[in-house]
Amino acid sequence: MKEQDKNAKNSRRNFLKKGIALGAFSATAVAIASFQKDGVEETGEKVKLLSPDGEVVEIDKAYVKPAQDLHLPLDKDKIREGIPNRKFVMVIDLARCKNALKCVDACNKHHHITGKNAWLKVYKMQESKDTAPYWMPSTCQHCDQPACVTVCPVDATFKRRDGLVLIDNERCVGCRFCMAACPYSARVFNWEQPDQGEITMNMDMTQHGSTPEHAGLPSIKGTVDKCDFCPHAIEKGELPHCVSACPNGVFYFGDKYEDTVTNGDETLRLGKLLEDKAGYRLMEGLNTQPSVFYLPPKDRSDDFKDGLKDYNEFQSVEKPEES
Amino acid sequence: MKIQDKLLNDLAPRKFDKLGVIWISILVLIIIAGIIAYIDQIIKGQVVTNMRDYALWGIYISNFVFFVATSFVGSVIVAVLRLTHNEWRTPLVRVAEIITLASIVMAGITITLDMARPDRLLNLFIYARIQSPITWDVIIIPTTIAISFLLLYFPLLPDLAILKDYFKDKKPRLSRWYGRFSLNWKGSDTQKAIQTKSIKIIAIMIVPIGLMLQTIDAWLFSTTYRIGWDSTNMGAYFIAGAVVAGVAALIVVLYVVRRTRKLEEYITDLHFDKLGKLLALACLIYLYFNMNEYIVPTYTPTKGEELHLTTLLTGSYSYLFWLVTIGGLVLPVILLLFKKGRKPLPMFFIGLVVVIGSWWKRYIIITPTLLHPFLPIQGVPESWHHYFPSLHEWLITVATLAMALLIITILVRYLPVVPIQRTADEQEKLNNDIKH
Amino acid sequence: MKNRINFRYIFLAFLSVFVFASSFQNLNAQNAKKNKVRLKAQYIKIMGGESYIDITATSKIEKQNVRVSGIEITVYNELEEENIELGKVTTNMKGENKFIFKNFNSILADSSNIYNILISFKGNETFKKAKKRISFKNADITAKMVVKDSINYIRARLTDPNANSPIIEQDLTIQVQRLFGPLILGDEFNTTDDDGTIIVPIEEGIPGVDGNLTFEVVLNDSDDYGTIKALVTAPIGTPIIDESTFDDRKMWSPRNKTPIFLLIFPNLLIVGIWGLIVYLIINLFKISKSKN
Repeated sequence: MKEQDKNAKNSRRNFLKKGIALGAFSATAVAIASFQKDGVEETGEKVKLLSPDGEVVEIDKAYVKPAQDLHLPLDKDKIREGIPNRKFVMVIDLARCKNALKCVDACNKHHHITGKNAWLKVYKMQESKDTAPYWMPSTCQHCDQPACVTVCPVDATFKRRDGLVLIDNERCVGCRFCMAACPYSARVFNWEQPDQGEITMNMDMTQHGSTPEHAGLPSIKGTVDKCDFCPHAIEKGELPHCVSACPNGVFYFGDKYEDTVTNGDETLRLGKLLEDKAGYRLMEGLNTQPSVFYLPPKDRSDDFKDGLKDYNEFQSVEKPEES
Repeated sequence: MKIQDKLLNDLAPRKFDKLGVIWISILVLIIIAGIIAYIDQIIKGQVVTNMRDYALWGIYISNFVFFVATSFVGSVIVAVLRLTHNEWRTPLVRVAEIITLASIVMAGITITLDMARPDRLLNLFIYARIQSPITWDVIIIPTTIAISFLLLYFPLLPDLAILKDYFKDKKPRLSRWYGRFSLNWKGSDTQKAIQTKSIKIIAIMIVPIGLMLQTIDAWLFSTTYRIGWDSTNMGAYFIAGAVVAGVAALIVVLYVVRRTRKLEEYITDLHFDKLGKLLALACLIYLYFNMNEYIVPTYTPTKGEELHLTTLLTGSYSYLFWLVTIGGLVLPVILLLFKKGRKPLPMFFIGLVVVIGSWWKRYIIITPTLLHPFLPIQGVPESWHHYFPSLHEWLITVATLAMALLIITILVRYLPVVPIQRTADEQEKLNNDIKH
Repeated sequence: MKNRINFRYIFLAFLSVFVFASSFQNLNAQNAKKNKVRLKAQYIKIMGGESYIDITATSKIEKQNVRVSGIEITVYNELEEENIELGKVTTNMKGENKFIFKNFNSILADSSNIYNILISFKGNETFKKAKKRISFKNADITAKMVVKDSINYIRARLTDPNANSPIIEQDLTIQVQRLFGPLILGDEFNTTDDDGTIIVPIEEGIPGVDGNLTFEVVLNDSDDYGTIKALVTAPIGTPIIDESTFDDRKMWSPRNKTPIFLLIFPNLLIVGIWGLIVYLIINLFKISKSKN
């Protein structure tokens, strides 16, 4: 009997430990918890949760139910599988893009990109001399039929359930076949040890290994990198950095299964947005099935030429200021 | 059956003369320079090359493709000529086998040099995805190395036994080594039976293996979307190219060996004549594939195709393209059509030109395509719009070529370049036929 | 006697001037270096859940608006005579925090049923002290899903619980919970009628996991009542269909899900060829071991 009690105690302790981990996110979600009926019956059983600033609070167990069941944070073995019941898509409105480059700056900053090739680039596009030029931000398209994943010999790049194509920089052997296969020029290579300065120091202190969910932290010599659709932000319920940084509302992001995308200000039905604004995908004919939709540059708010002042054909990553 | 003394003296391996020592020293020096450059590459990363995010493959890969192509000579000379009962091949097979083994071993080494993380080499085996063409390469190259080795070794056994006896008094230690490697060959009926059966199996096996090797190499490119690579032509194109490169390499090495070892009696003008015709045929077939690859698309070129073809035919790569095509293929064919062109010395130069042309041809297959991606090249330094190999890349590449030559040289030094036993057998058969 | 008293007074006066001057100087010096903190507070009440205050601390440093993290905010219930301290929170990395009213009933309203909350920051070496007052009245939203003529509606009623009366002419928003923020359904504002009620039809074809949807009826940031949110869960959504190929055997699947023909054909080839190679190597041994 005593043995059983001990086991029960241990399992409860373990459960609580897990609960605290889950609670780190639940503390926020608790406020928006979903309920079956209008009222919630308090069970009287208190659960200890960690509030976002590290305080331990006690909340009645009845309130502890995450509103959006994201199954977060993901266990290590689940990182390759991804978040279930989600399919992340991005919509880029070319009618609004003015080449402000705030998206590029935010992406470079949050992924500590110090090389000579940014992962998110704003292209100066002009299909023919008779059609009008426009600015086109291009990220990794996180294709549903990814050529890069198909050709990787060591399973270093993989396609998840939630649509994201990520890279395991610890596995990559640097053959660059994925770069040869990608038609969107989305991938960059670390030809040398990148000088990411501070973060490498910080990482040694917090013992953070590199994770496919936050690419660039750190970037590893001899491996490939690319846009990751910021799973590290998604897991906190935040939008990818390019989406939040754009001052012109160019980027929308969301879950295709929910048929909803948002640019931080506007939240819209995806299907309707694509229908109203004639959305399309890049190089549809290649049958890569990309997850990024583009809205044509119709009824543009600004002149294309206004973006030329910030256009640098030969630079996409700002060099750190030399002191 | 006792081997004639003359045969033995002509064909038995000999010490290097002064020229040979100089040759080996030069090769070793080049290899050392290459190793130093490679160590620097390991330390600093591949930034020491001139490859960047657009020209992401360079001469390491084109060099690799060249080695793979040259290794096809074994399949052609030894197997295909055997299966088609071309008996004149006998004095050539040993050199062909040596070139094959050296090439495929160097192919395996060269591709590892291109990996940016060679410390993770084992990942290619433990985590292998069989959907990837590189995994097919990882499988077929060791397979070809194994079969090429066996292709060389099985027919070698009688000769090793002969050499053991030949050197017993003059060089007892060397004789003992020959003895060990001859695996107790006594020429008994059992041994001969096993050997004959094995060689037959190898000869049949090496043709599909060689074809698969060339095809997989081609599919590394045609399994991508890229203009200039995404071609249904690629497999056959590469196979034809491999015959050209392999036969040309054989001619060059044969000439040098023949000259330095004075083997004019064995490797005769007739052999060169026949090889010349074979090379001409191979070049013609290869030119046919070239036409399909470069001329046909000009009829209805898409935007990408037009850009690519213009670059090759009239643009920045045209100089190299026409040099390789006219100088490396058309001109040789024309010269080889004449009997005078198929004499040994002209053949040596023609072969050399074809080999060098083959090497640069693979450079043309790889680099221009990479510099014409679908999306414009923007946001990167101006130098990334071009590619020319850096000093490191040249040193390492030339070192691999030197290493291949070193392997060939050492094997030629210690092995009878013309099969002794087989030549003796054939001579005996000839004498018997004359008698009766 | 007179002289001594004079001295004492003079001494005190001198001392006080000195102390005053130095503290004044100190204060001024502190004020001169410190930045102003702007506190933003929004009262939010979740029906059947918590009530809390969303606190944001910002400051204008070098003409840029930055979030102030790591400062301690004290929350008081302001009453006529005194302020009762309800608790403290510290702003996080984004300068935000939630102060949750653990027991709403313990907070006291004033005579007009208005709750007055004061949030204050004592100030530190870098920032000046700051405070913000918010006032709100308690209100309830009751929301329910109703079906009429096979159309789904959400009916919601805004009431004042103290007077048990409806609150009219307030704008409510109906939205459905989505991953990165709610999606507004119908008009952005639905004004409550004389009974404090709104009825809004819910369109068909809103996707949800297993068809489950959570709707929110929100009174957004009203002057009198703050923000009130009521949740309604209903399985009226279109069940989502997972189109992911993750479980299938595809060319882009990981190695444990290789397409069958790639598993069979190449492996057969490999086994066949290497089987022969092994046989040949055995033959080498046979030759070596051959007796006669």
